[in-house]
Amino acid sequence: MNIVAELFVVTFKIMWSLVLAGAKWFVRPREKSVGGQVCVVTGAGSGLGRLFALEFARRRATLVLWDINKEGNEETADMVREIYRKLSPSEESSGIAQELPLFQPKVYAYVCDVSKRESVYSTAEKVRRDVGNIDMLINNAGVVSGHHLLECPDELIERTMMVNCHAHFWTTKAFLPAMLELNHGHIVTVASSLGLFTTAGVEDYCASKFGAIGFHESLSHELKAADKDGIKMTLVCPFLVDTDMFKGCKIRKEMAPFFPPLKPEYCVQQAMRAILTDQPMICTPRVMYMVTFMKTVLPFDATVCMYRFIGADKCMYPFLAQRKESTNNNESKTGI
Amino acid sequence: MMELKVLGCAMLFPLQIFVCVLRAAVRLLTRQKRRDMGADVVLITGGGRGIGRHLAKEFAKQGAKKVILWGRTEKCLKETCDEISLTGTECYYFVCDVGNREEVYQQAKVLREKVGDVTVLVNNAAVVHGKSLMDSDDDALLKTQHINTLGQFWTTKAFLPRMLELRNGHVVCINSILSLSSIPGAIDYCMSKASSYAFMESLTLGLLDCPGVGCTTILPFHTDTEMFQGMRLRFPKLFPPLNPEMVAQRTVDAVRTDTAFVVLPWTMHFLVILKSLLPQSALEEIHKFSGSYTCMKTFKGRT
Ligand SMILES: NC(=O)c1ccc[n+]([C@@H]2O[C@H](COP(=O)([O-])OP(=O)(O)OC[C@H]3O[C@@H](n4cnc5c(N)ncnc54)[C@H](OP(=O)(O)O)[C@@H]3O)[C@@H](O)[C@H]2O)c1
Ligand SMILES: NC(=O)c1ccc[n+]([C@@H]2O[C@H](COP(=O)([O-])OP(=O)(O)OC[C@H]3O[C@@H](n4cnc5c(N)ncnc54)[C@H](O)[C@@H]3O)[C@@H](O)[C@H]2O)c1
Repeated sequence: MNIVAELFVVTFKIMWSLVLAGAKWFVRPREKSVGGQVCVVTGAGSGLGRLFALEFARRRATLVLWDINKEGNEETADMVREIYRKLSPSEESSGIAQELPLFQPKVYAYVCDVSKRESVYSTAEKVRRDVGNIDMLINNAGVVSGHHLLECPDELIERTMMVNCHAHFWTTKAFLPAMLELNHGHIVTVASSLGLFTTAGVEDYCASKFGAIGFHESLSHELKAADKDGIKMTLVCPFLVDTDMFKGCKIRKEMAPFFPPLKPEYCVQQAMRAILTDQPMICTPRVMYMVTFMKTVLPFDATVCMYRFIGADKCMYPFLAQRKESTNNNESKTGI
Repeated sequence: MMELKVLGCAMLFPLQIFVCVLRAAVRLLTRQKRRDMGADVVLITGGGRGIGRHLAKEFAKQGAKKVILWGRTEKCLKETCDEISLTGTECYYFVCDVGNREEVYQQAKVLREKVGDVTVLVNNAAVVHGKSLMDSDDDALLKTQHINTLGQFWTTKAFLPRMLELRNGHVVCINSILSLSSIPGAIDYCMSKASSYAFMESLTLGLLDCPGVGCTTILPFHTDTEMFQGMRLRFPKLFPPLNPEMVAQRTVDAVRTDTAFVVLPWTMHFLVILKSLLPQSALEEIHKFSGSYTCMKTFKGRT
């Protein structure tokens, strides 16, 4: 094709996608149904992973829960069963259900350390045998070392990278081939806003989350280049969430009301909406898009100025100090 | 009272930003003070070939006291070392695989005993596997991570404490523009470089109030070395591969002027800005048009 014509077409397509993106502000796209689909959630034993599992359960998806922590995982599985139980009567009372064979979603819980390649591959094999093909993969398991770089034991740095970053290789490689074959599936990466900009003191966590986003983006381009339009990808970037993960993290006192820690339920609801409408990326709260944009246009000094104004550059220091104290008191859970 | 303070801060904030932007612009136009390299001991990882080699020569040319090279292949390290020694700069080389933690710490100790304290650390060693996720071998994926990202953690942990003690030092990372804008077909590289970018940014923020210790990250576009051999861009006239000598010059200059981030060529800023603005589908069209979806098909790497 003539290059000028092609340029013209591309410009038009870009305009069109801008229009479509704008239109989404006014007309909310319909959420897709996940009823009967199989979702794998990693790190489902607590926090966001558990909430994701519950949300999917409410939508009648079959759930496969992975976590390194057996009790937490079983607890989540029980909560999911509870939800399933509440769901079924409502369908029985409606007339349609009698005619259709009632689909009863099920929950499967596996103990799996996602940082270990063999563990992921063997558990994935079990899932294939017990459940069959999967439709959704939620890569959510994450850890944080909570030490300054120079004080951090090397094993913890490696662990952070392995769980938050390298695990995506293994889980995705385990399930992607089947998805590619059917040209159907959905891969969700739970990263963090620290995957879009950084803050001092948590080098390893930032590195792992940036890596996860790099992986996600490269993979989504890969799928696009291979014309596998049926496989969707969603990147979830929550700001600080009110779980135990970053307890103690503080931004500047005066700015805190503008950037409150997210309620985990809210964060997951927003993420679910994005996932079910096949949105490629979601940052919660929205102001994070702004911060990310500012970061790309401003020179570095000005970015630093902005971070300092918000108090974001050193916000992890209280968290690190708290972690250190609790390590000294032998309460640390970093050893898992 | 507190409200007043917040209001004051909020009013001042745009002004502050404006001043920062202005200062950055002025810095572009005027000549500024440059660090004197006369007392510096420079360590370059992967200094045997490619950009690393040019970096070594450039540091020597700008008057570094000692240059040290790390790498896995003794032959090319020796060649580079000889070449630099000829110009009169003290040069040493050690065989060290930065992907191996124990080896890094051990060689760092050897280095400290034999040569002295390193004041400029250049993390340049990197590999690229250059395949799509499903075609890649598991071990190859991990190897890239270990060299490109974790290697940098270990070298920094080995040398930064002493720099902080001396209140004199500089950590440099040769990153890549792919860290900010991924392409398909090099998933291992994009991921590891993104990690390495975040590491540097976080470190830079952390070292802001450490006098005498600075950071520099260079984000070059495709450079004319063996690394991405065979990669074919769609518009080579518009975006010609960079010259490694130029990258080296700009790197050394950035170190001397204590500049935190350098994007080469500067036009790549637009790509980064576009990426943060446009929806994914628009970005995909741009990628498709610019040929980045097909450029890795002809890639013949060496790993
Ligand atoms: N070329 C490009 O298009 C391009 C673009 C953007 C950024 N960059 C970046 O620029 C830097 C240098 O690239 P280049 O083009 O000079 O690549 P190159 O020619 O392939 O050189 C890489 C160097 O790293 C060394 N190295 C690799 N693995 C190592 C390990 N495990 N331990 C120690 N040394 C190791 C290699 O030496 P041995 O094999 O002897 O160990 C070699 O000297 C890299 O960080 C790269 O990511 C390159
Ligand atoms: N909490 C926050 O402030 C915050 C902010 C942004 C992003 N995130 C991200 O959201 C995700 C979930 O965070 P959370 O707050 O629910 O954390 P959490 O600590 O409550 O939950 C993490 C879960 O992952 C599991 N896990 C840890 N290592 C594992 C391994 N190797 N294999 C399998 N499972 C493992 C843990 O057992 C736990 O159940 C993480 O990826 C985190 O990085 C959290």
